[in-house]
Amino acid sequence: MLMFLIFQYNVNYMIRIRYAFAFVAMLFIGQVNGQESNNEAWQVHGFVAQGLIDVDGSSFVNNDGALSAELTEIGINGSYQLNDYVRITGQAVYLDGGNRYVEGARIDYALLDFGVFQDDKWLVNLYLGRFKNNNWLYSSTRDVPHARPSIILPQSKYFDGFRDIAMGSDGISAKVVYSSENYGDFDFYFSYGSSSLETEDVKLLLGDLVKGKGKQRFDAQASLYWQPLFSPWQLGVSLLDSDFYYERANSDLYADGLFSFQQLSSSFLYEGEKWEFSGEITQSKFTQNGFYFEEYSRGTTGLGAYVQSRFQYNNQLSLLARVEKFYADEKDKNGSQLEKNTGGAVPSYFGYQNDITVGSSFMLADNMRVDIEHHWVEGTSRLTPVISPNKELNNQRRWSMWAVQFMYWF
Amino acid sequence: MVVASPIKAMHVITHASVKIESITPAQLRRIYSIRQTRWASSTPITVFVLPSQHTIHKNFAKNTLNIFPYKLDRVWNKLTFSGLGVAPTIVQSQEEMLKAVSSTPGAIGYVDDLNKEVDVNVLNISI
Repeated sequence: MLMFLIFQYNVNYMIRIRYAFAFVAMLFIGQVNGQESNNEAWQVHGFVAQGLIDVDGSSFVNNDGALSAELTEIGINGSYQLNDYVRITGQAVYLDGGNRYVEGARIDYALLDFGVFQDDKWLVNLYLGRFKNNNWLYSSTRDVPHARPSIILPQSKYFDGFRDIAMGSDGISAKVVYSSENYGDFDFYFSYGSSSLETEDVKLLLGDLVKGKGKQRFDAQASLYWQPLFSPWQLGVSLLDSDFYYERANSDLYADGLFSFQQLSSSFLYEGEKWEFSGEITQSKFTQNGFYFEEYSRGTTGLGAYVQSRFQYNNQLSLLARVEKFYADEKDKNGSQLEKNTGGAVPSYFGYQNDITVGSSFMLADNMRVDIEHHWVEGTSRLTPVISPNKELNNQRRWSMWAVQFMYWF
Repeated sequence: MVVASPIKAMHVITHASVKIESITPAQLRRIYSIRQTRWASSTPITVFVLPSQHTIHKNFAKNTLNIFPYKLDRVWNKLTFSGLGVAPTIVQSQEEMLKAVSSTPGAIGYVDDLNKEVDVNVLNISI
């Protein structure tokens, strides 16, 4: 039996690796054609990344704790300038992160970009269609391996379980850029829309036993970033307001539910020649009405923050260190009330999640990189499913993981 | 004996149809950060760059734009992979840069070797 499982694992692993390599070959061909066809009107870009991840002590990636190749990210995008003022663009991705989010292909963004106004100081663009969330430090590039600081992003802010909801929406968004010769650069983003959720997305959020449908009613976000003139510093603030509802099926164990989410966060970024520092602090208000039963009502305010530093050792090698803390309820930082209120059904360590990360990136070529990192984690509040935690698979307060990922882009 | 290669002056060039004589460092930075995408005449700006690891690109980014090259890469990656905008077009050599800028209306680029008989507009960088 053991031999069979090992054989099966190896077969699955080899198939995955083979697909990844086939795709890389395809992208190489695409790049050659792409470089020839990229011009002022037409642009094609993409990326492929494959890694290995091993989690010890939690179901963050898989349920059996085995070494996993479920660390695949592939994307391709195109942009075509229809005329001087209108552009059409879109990106498709295939993602496999195990339990972190639903495996499969999706359209990341597909939109019309209208250049509404511009002079030497102002730039205003309006986007219609499916747009990415551009309001957090790394929200627009969280699934672009070479454009984020680590393989696994800080879960206090970039919780993978919320990935498909937080990644973007269908609706309208706007970018307003102001460049002052005295005060520096100001970037303002606004978006309003909603995301549709598949059955698997709903199960990932609420638990495997749900049978009904989930839908985001709306998602409104705004952010402002300021970088003083010729300064290495950037400061930002962002706001989010979103409602999500669950509609029970006829034979459902659960009732209809409404989940509301409001978030306020601020960020800083310092980009020096050798050293980089960044961090985000986020306060999130979460309200749940119904779902467990009709009259159920609960509200919590979570708090999360991380600071990280990157050191560029030379042209090829950079080192990363990060400290992160997250409390699901800022009034119950050790989770004792959570355990008490659930009659012991949910252990206290589901009330928080702290992470210490060290990592390294090595540039293999202009458009090839390998990242490696290790996480020491305490607490399990940023694991899926969110609403109905799995304490059988997550019966330890402390857990750890390491990951290595190769990435190529063009 | 080791002889250090002298740092040549950087020349910012545009297509001949761009009728300006000088540009400020702040404006140049806006153009290369894709915060300004049109000239005052409303002509769209087509930005050309050398590859990120190219020595001339590194000198241009650090000394002319006052931006570290990795930061420019981040700005362009964000535009490219978020749908927010279009990153500059990469050319592989100075010869290619001269050819691309001279043949694309509204184009801007940079070289440190202008000993070519190419019809481009050379801008003064004014403080």
